[in-house]
Amino acid sequence: MIRLLHTADWQIGKPFGQFEPDEAALLSEARFLAVERLAMLATEHQVDAVLVAGDVFDAQTVADKTLHRLFNALAGFPGPWVMIPGNHDAALAESVWRRAERLDALPTNLHLCLRPEPLHLEAANLVVLPAPLTQRHTYQDLTDWFDLAATPEGALRIGLAHGSVEGILIESIDSPNPIAQDRADKARLDYLALGDWHGAKRIDARSWYAGTPEPDRFKANDAGRALLVELDAPGTEPRVTQLETGRYRWRQETRTLRVASDLDALLEWLAALGGDDVVALILEGSLDLAAHRRLETALGQARGRARSLRVDTQALRLEPTVEDLDALAADGYVGEVIDELREQQGGSEGAVARDALALLAGLLDERKEKRP
Amino acid sequence: MRLSKLRVEQFKRFRSGVELDHLDPGLNLFTGPNEAGKSTLVAAIRAAFFERHRSSNVDELRPWGESGVAPTVMLEFELDGRFHRLTKSFLARKRCELLIDGERFEGDDAEERIKDLLGFQQPSRGASKAEHWGIPGLLWIRQGDAQEIRPAVEHATDQLRSALERSLGEVAASGGDELISRVEALRLELLTAATGKPRGEFERALKQRDTLSTQLDELDEQISRYRQRVDELARLRAEHQRDQREAPSRALRERLEAAEDQLRQAHERQRRLADERLRAEQIEARIRLLRERLESFTAQRLAVDERRQALTLSTQALASANAELAAWRGRLEQVDRARRHSRDRLRQARQQASRAQLAQRIERLDDELDQRQRRLVQVESAGQRARKLAELRGTSAIEASEVEALRAEQARLRELEIERRAAATLLDFSLDEQQRIELDGEPLEGQGERRLLGPATLRLPGLGTLRITPGGANLSSLGARHRELSELHAERLARLGVDSLHRAEARLVEQRELDSEARALEATLAALAPAGVEALREECAARRQERETLIRTLAELTTEAREPALDIAAVEAEDERLDGELREVDQALRQAQLRASRAQVQCDVDERELATAQAALEAPERTARLDAGHREETETNAELATQLARIEALERKLEADQPEILAQDVERLKRSVQQQERRFAERREAMTRLEVELESLGAQGLEERRAELARDLAQLTRRCDELERRARALDLLLERLRDKRQRLTQRLQAPLVHHLERYLRLLLPEARLELDEGLAPVSLTRPGAHGVEHGDFDQLSFGAREQMGVISRLAYADLLKEAGRPTLLILDDALVHADESRLAQMKRVLFDAATRHQLLIFSCHPEAWADLGVAERRIPDLVHAGQDAPTR
Repeated sequence: MIRLLHTADWQIGKPFGQFEPDEAALLSEARFLAVERLAMLATEHQVDAVLVAGDVFDAQTVADKTLHRLFNALAGFPGPWVMIPGNHDAALAESVWRRAERLDALPTNLHLCLRPEPLHLEAANLVVLPAPLTQRHTYQDLTDWFDLAATPEGALRIGLAHGSVEGILIESIDSPNPIAQDRADKARLDYLALGDWHGAKRIDARSWYAGTPEPDRFKANDAGRALLVELDAPGTEPRVTQLETGRYRWRQETRTLRVASDLDALLEWLAALGGDDVVALILEGSLDLAAHRRLETALGQARGRARSLRVDTQALRLEPTVEDLDALAADGYVGEVIDELREQQGGSEGAVARDALALLAGLLDERKEKRP
Repeated sequence: MRLSKLRVEQFKRFRSGVELDHLDPGLNLFTGPNEAGKSTLVAAIRAAFFERHRSSNVDELRPWGESGVAPTVMLEFELDGRFHRLTKSFLARKRCELLIDGERFEGDDAEERIKDLLGFQQPSRGASKAEHWGIPGLLWIRQGDAQEIRPAVEHATDQLRSALERSLGEVAASGGDELISRVEALRLELLTAATGKPRGEFERALKQRDTLSTQLDELDEQISRYRQRVDELARLRAEHQRDQREAPSRALRERLEAAEDQLRQAHERQRRLADERLRAEQIEARIRLLRERLESFTAQRLAVDERRQALTLSTQALASANAELAAWRGRLEQVDRARRHSRDRLRQARQQASRAQLAQRIERLDDELDQRQRRLVQVESAGQRARKLAELRGTSAIEASEVEALRAEQARLRELEIERRAAATLLDFSLDEQQRIELDGEPLEGQGERRLLGPATLRLPGLGTLRITPGGANLSSLGARHRELSELHAERLARLGVDSLHRAEARLVEQRELDSEARALEATLAALAPAGVEALREECAARRQERETLIRTLAELTTEAREPALDIAAVEAEDERLDGELREVDQALRQAQLRASRAQVQCDVDERELATAQAALEAPERTARLDAGHREETETNAELATQLARIEALERKLEADQPEILAQDVERLKRSVQQQERRFAERREAMTRLEVELESLGAQGLEERRAELARDLAQLTRRCDELERRARALDLLLERLRDKRQRLTQRLQAPLVHHLERYLRLLLPEARLELDEGLAPVSLTRPGAHGVEHGDFDQLSFGAREQMGVISRLAYADLLKEAGRPTLLILDDALVHADESRLAQMKRVLFDAATRHQLLIFSCHPEAWADLGVAERRIPDLVHAGQDAPTR
């Protein structure tokens, strides 16, 4: 039985610009750690080879340090690593790969497939048919040649490609780097290891996207996995097991606050956030001042716990109650201003009015504290 | 509040008691000179309210040089319908007592009460200061403080506000101002106060964002260039491989060599052609020389014929020239004869003309002579007459002035006579019959009278003589002058040779007539002989002589024989024509001679040349040379034909070659090969260059750097957005707060403005006084000479500010009154800077205010306040009444 570890889309050197620098640094770092974990998993499961289906690097010109760091991370698994370039790290005339060669960074157990030529791993008696990208985008199916590729009798035929399987991924209709849906069948492949889609996804019994081992966006489903592929013999169906490799949980949450229990639920949810959570929270609805204070406190605490917590309150209104106003001792014209701002929250500059109102409430609160 | 009584003891200027009683509920006027104690009374009222009785900082209340005294003030007033009496003693006996309708309060308790009633504060320790005085501080105007209203208002703002709020039933925001200033401060952290531009951290963040954005653009540009180069490298590599495979330059090189070979052959042919052409040219030159030699032989024969012909022609020409010459000689002789005849006729005609001229001249001389002789006769007769006239006039010459003098003398003599007669002594006599007397020898008889003009002797026969001397001296002088003048007159007459004036006048008339005639004669003479008689005579003589000369000349001329008359003009013309003809013929003759001699010379030359030519033709070796020449010519022509055929063959070949096209082919192919090789080399070089460049660029980690930069930029952008949002929120908040506050202030001020305008109308009609937020007057608007004027309160004159200060205080008092607060107004020497008319208006204002408030006015100018409508109370009187003199 042959065991393969299928992974892709490491996106080493990805910037995470929407985060604070410290958060972004940790998220970038997490990608190296994920590779190290993959190496450990490969060793642990005694796989015959690790297949990396493209987009190892997020960009062609990463720093030398990054390059070395990545290839060092492979050290945890001494068996063969097979890699193809994807659209982010295509094998162009000058590429990250050529540079790695020049820097002598490539470990000897790495099989880098820069040309569409079969790679025969004799120890496992398997032949890898790679479809490396040599341009950033191509509109022809680079896996075409798999159909006619000859392989030794009895050897496993394993396809390795990076692109969009036609007709499966809605978002990628008309997208570059197409791959025929029935490639595994037509090319008599025992397994087709795919990359580009960041979530783990089954196309058919023999064709899978591994997804990225460490999530890097809010929208991907089933990210943070690697696939353990077990093949008994040529022609038999592979057994595919999803292994958890991701550390950070990327969550995007939209909450509408209308009644007091909505806030309670939100606070509970916030309280449950931990150090591996990367959260984008969108808040809507309305709050009175007391609730607003509670929310601010809870958010402050949650920020301290979560890896990252970003909150969008553009659509949130402040509705001070009579008690709020009494508590703030906002009489006379200050009271009038509060009323006006409250009204204005529904208007075109609603967010500004809300901020102004929150500011005013804060100032009045401050004053109240000063004069008990 | 109505103050009814004030008593002061041992207080500053007043050692013992002074009392103001029966104070009016309205106006009260206290007067007194400087240092009479006005301000002391005011100080007493202030001390009673403001100073704590236990205060040890009130030494100035003590009369000078006194110790151990207890300055005391007692006030009685009515407030809220209740009777109050406040008694306060300081220093030696510290006491305070307040009676309210019989209820009694003491010490601090009393002070607390009074303070709340009046609306002021007391210091917890030490002397009371302006900031404690509140409402009274505003309404009690100290000497020289009326114009300084702002600080006083500030210390009373809260009370005024609360009065306004009470009157309006509205509440200002508590601590609103503090809130606004807090918002302002927060906004100032982000935006500039004036223009709302970003500042501080916000500004820095924006700048940094822009910097990062620029850097990112630059990096993007670099990355894009990097990618282009990667593509370029790929393209170059593909081309390079193709070239290596296909080797297009080799084929080109072979074609080049073939073309070069062809070109070389063509060049060889060209060189040969040039050689052949040169030979042909040499042969042609030889043929040309041969022909020239043969032609010279032919020319010798032709020359002999030519010479002979020329000689024939020149002989003919000589004969014709000689014939012409003879003809012209005959003609000359003929013309010369005709001309000699013409000359004789001309002389004759001229003599005839001279004679006719002489005869005419003599005739004219006769006429002139005759005329002059007649004039001479006339002149002589006129001369005789003139001499006669001169003679006549010479005997009776008399001057008109002399006659005039005579006339004057006679008139004067007559006047003297009359005067003398008037002055003479009248002798009136009437003698008896037969009696006679003698007057100066003249016997007088009968009756009569005589006028005695001088001393006279009257002989009375028988009686002697009477000597009479006329009494007036005048008479004798008159007599003397008469005599003198008579002698002068007689003398003049004698000189003129007349016996009377009448005669003289007659002679004068006669003389004038003679003069007139003489002048007429003179004119006649001048006309006849302008140059004088002698000249006329000479003229006559000259003409006579000339005439005789001419007659002699004519006689000589006439001696020649008679001839027919000739027309001189015609003769002269004929002579002239002949003269011209003669010259022409002579000229023609000379020409003919010249031609004849030339023809002779030509004839001689032709003869000589003919001889020479004939000699050459007859030379012995000529025939042999001629034959040899002909033979050589034939041979050379044949040689030329062969050469030309050879050249033509070569030219045909070269035309087919087209060597210039061949040369172009070679050039073209050579260049193509070079280009191909250069391109190959360049590409190889470019590839190397690109590879090196890309290697070094790749090592810079451009995209990773871009990723970091993009991350920083995104973060900064978020930060800027947050700050901007905060700034906008603060802006909005501040704007709203200020707006609301402004509106509230306006609403609050309305009643105060109303009161203020009531007084302002009296003082400055149509003026408006604006208030600031603290309710203090801030600016004045009024109609001026040039439209509406608007000025800061602080810019007004001292006097105006003082007046505004007073009416503002009255308005505050009205406001407080309406709010049910006590009002008492004290004016210590206020309005001293007001002019007469303003002061008059201010009095109306004060009188009006006094209908609502109690006013205490202290002044050292009683006369200025005489028309206030209230009796003045003199402070010295009050003091005397209290049996106390002011102390020094």
